[in-house]
Amino acid sequence: MDTSTVAELFDFWVDEGQYWLADNAAFLFEWLRFVFEGFYGGALAVLEFSPWFAVATIFGLLAWRIVSLSFGALTTAALAACWAMGLWAETMSTLALVASATGIALVLALPIGVLTGFFPKLDHVVEPILDLMQTLPPYIYLIPAIALLGFGPGTALAATLVVAMPPAIRLTSLGIRTTPIQFVELGKSTGMTPAQMFFKIRLPFAMPSIMAGINQSLMMAFGMVVIAGIVGSGGLGETIYEATRTLDIGKSIDAAIAIVILTIVIDRLTQGLVPSRKDPR
Amino acid sequence: MITVGARKAEPGPNGSRHEPAGGAMLGSPSNSDDVLVDCRSLWKIFGSRASAAMKAVQERGLGKTEVLKEFGCVVGVANATFSVRRGEIFCIMGLSGSGKSTLLRMLNRLVEPTSGEVFVKGRALSSLDAAALRELRARHVAMVFQSVALLPHRTVLENAAFGLEVRGVAKAERHRAAEEALRKVGLGDWLQRYPRELSGGMQQRVGLARALAVDPEIILMDEPFSALDPLIRRQLQDEFRQLTKDLGKSAVFITHDLDEAIRIGDRIAIMKDGAIIQIGTPEEIVLAPADDYVAKFVAGISRLHLVKAHSVMVPVERFRAERPDVDPRRLVTTTPDADIDRLIDLILADPAPGIAVVEAGRLVGVVTVRSLLLGLKGSPTPELAPV
Ligand SMILES: Nc1ncnc2c1ncn2[C@@H]1O[C@H](COP(=O)(O)OP(=O)(O)OP(=O)(O)O)[C@@H](O)[C@H]1O
Ligand SMILES: [Mg+2]
Repeated sequence: MDTSTVAELFDFWVDEGQYWLADNAAFLFEWLRFVFEGFYGGALAVLEFSPWFAVATIFGLLAWRIVSLSFGALTTAALAACWAMGLWAETMSTLALVASATGIALVLALPIGVLTGFFPKLDHVVEPILDLMQTLPPYIYLIPAIALLGFGPGTALAATLVVAMPPAIRLTSLGIRTTPIQFVELGKSTGMTPAQMFFKIRLPFAMPSIMAGINQSLMMAFGMVVIAGIVGSGGLGETIYEATRTLDIGKSIDAAIAIVILTIVIDRLTQGLVPSRKDPR
Repeated sequence: MITVGARKAEPGPNGSRHEPAGGAMLGSPSNSDDVLVDCRSLWKIFGSRASAAMKAVQERGLGKTEVLKEFGCVVGVANATFSVRRGEIFCIMGLSGSGKSTLLRMLNRLVEPTSGEVFVKGRALSSLDAAALRELRARHVAMVFQSVALLPHRTVLENAAFGLEVRGVAKAERHRAAEEALRKVGLGDWLQRYPRELSGGMQQRVGLARALAVDPEIILMDEPFSALDPLIRRQLQDEFRQLTKDLGKSAVFITHDLDEAIRIGDRIAIMKDGAIIQIGTPEEIVLAPADDYVAKFVAGISRLHLVKAHSVMVPVERFRAERPDVDPRRLVTTTPDADIDRLIDLILADPAPGIAVVEAGRLVGVVTVRSLLLGLKGSPTPELAPV
C-alpha cells in the first residue's frame, strides 16, 4: 500500500465521520447551537436594551470603584468614542460574544480545574487536550464547526470557547495545588472536614490564581474576535473582516480601535478584582 | 499583660520543678490517668518501601544508614517512647533533621506512625476513625507552628476564632472566646487588625491564642519561637510557661535550642538521628548527661538557674561539726527547690552564717555562702568541701 492511499483513506474517514455526526448527532448540535446563541442573545439583549450613555457610565463607575477615578473617566470617554465612531452596536455585540463565551468557558473550566487540582493523575488526560486546544490553528476546526453548528454566532462562540477554557483550567488547577503546606497542616490539625478544607483554606489561597485565569480567558476570547468575525459572529470582528475585504482601511482601523478599547477596559477591570495576596508574615 | 520572667512565682504543685527523690516516672508510661499522651515504640520510616524496611529493622536491627542504603528509606523517628503528664511542659530538643517535627506530628496523626502506638487520653490514635480523629484534633490537641500560619485575609480576631469556627461554634460565642484568648496573650487591643500589621512576636502570640481559644488539654508547639529575635523570644518563653501553668495545660514543645528547652520544659527529651537518647528534668540533663553527645550540648549551658538549694547544701551534721556555735534550727529556712535568686536574696537579707533547707518539716541541709559559691563554680561535691 503506498502512502498516498493511506492519506486518502484517512481523509475519507474524517469526512465520513463528519457526515455521520451531521446525520446522527444533529440533535446534539442543534441543542448546542440553541444554548450558545441563547447565552449570546441574552447578553446582547441586556446591552442593547440600555442606551449607550448608560452602559458607558456604568462601566466608568465600575472602573472608578475597582481601579481609579482617572481610569473611570477614561473608560467612559473611550466608550463614548466607540459610539462616536458609529460602532456602538458592533461594540456591544462583540462584548456580548466575549462575555457569553467566557461565561460558558468558566462554567466548564472552573470545575475541571478544581478536579485536576485535586487529582494530579488527571493531568495525563487533560494536559494533552489543553495543549491541543491551545496549539490547533482555529481554521482547522472552524470549517467542521460551520458544518455542524451553522454560520453565525453559535460557531463563533464555540471557537472562542476552545481558546478561552485552557488558561482558566490551568490556573485554577495550579491555585488548588499550591496551597501553602503550613495552611494544609493548620486545617488538618484543627480537625477540618474535607469540605471545610476546600472552602476555608484551599479556595481562598487559590483565588488570585483563579482570577488570573479568568482574566486570561477573557483576553484569549478577545483575541478570537476577528477570527470569529469570519464565521459570522457579527460585531466588530465581522466589521473588520468586511472592511478588509473591501479595502476600507479607515473603517477597519476604527473597529480595531474599538476592540482595543474594550479589551483594555475589561482587562483592567478583571485585574483590579484580583485580591492581592498578602504576605502571611 | 502577663507577668514576665516570673518562674519563681509559679502557683500550685504543677509549677514546682522539684521532683521527689527517685524520679520514678522518667520516660516510662505509667497507667495513672494523669498521663495525657503516651507514646510506645514509635517509628516513622519515610519511603515507598517503608514496611519492608521496618521489618528488616525489627528482625535484623538495621541502623539508619543501612536502611537508607538497602531500602532507600529515611528513618525519621526510631523507637521513641515517652509520656506527657497532665500539666506538664515536655520539651523535645534536637538538631535539624533529628525527627522532632515528625515525632510531634505523630501525636495528632498528621503523620501516620510506621510502627508503635500513640495513646492520647488513653485512646489509641490508630483506632480512631476520621470523625473521631477530627473531634480529637478540634477539641483536645491544638497545634502551633513555627510559620505561624495566620490566614492573611482574616483579622486577628477571626484568626484566633478559627479553631472554633471549624468546630461550628456560633459567631458571637467564638468571637467572645477568641477575644478572651487574645487578652490572655496581651493582644486585646489588636482584634480588628490584619496579621501583616503585626510584628513576628505578636503574630506568634495570635498563633498561641488560636490554640488556646479552643481550650485544648494538650498544645503541640513546633519551634514556635525559632524565627524571633532573642529578646522577644525570651519574653515569649516566660509568658508561655506562665500561661500554660496558670491554665493547667499540657504542652509538647519542640526546639533546637537547649537553653529554650531548659527555660520552658519540666522535662526534656534529647533526640539524635530519630532516637530519643535521654529524657529528664533540665537539672538531670545538665548535671548528668547520658552520653558524650548530650554532654557536648550541655557544656555551653549556664548552670546558674539550675542551681537549687538541694544541690548546693551541706549535710546538717557537717554544718553542726564545723559551726558548733550556730544552731541550724534557728536559721532562716527555705525549700529544697529554692533557686539561686532566692538563695542570694536570703543570704543578703540575713547576717546568719547559713540558710536551713527544710523539706516536709524536716531539716535536710544548710546552704552557706561557701557551699553556694562552690556549687556555682560547678564543683561536683560541694557538700564535701569545708563549710
Ligand atoms: N515527608 C517526608 N518524606 C521523606 N522524608 C522526610 C519527610 N519528612 C521528614 N523527612 C525526613 O525525616 C527526618 C526528620 O525530619 P524532621 O522534619 O522531623 O526533622 P526536625 O528535627 O523537625 O528538623 P528541623 O529542626 O530542621 O525542623 C529528616 O531526615 C527528613 O529528611
Ligand atoms: Mg522541624
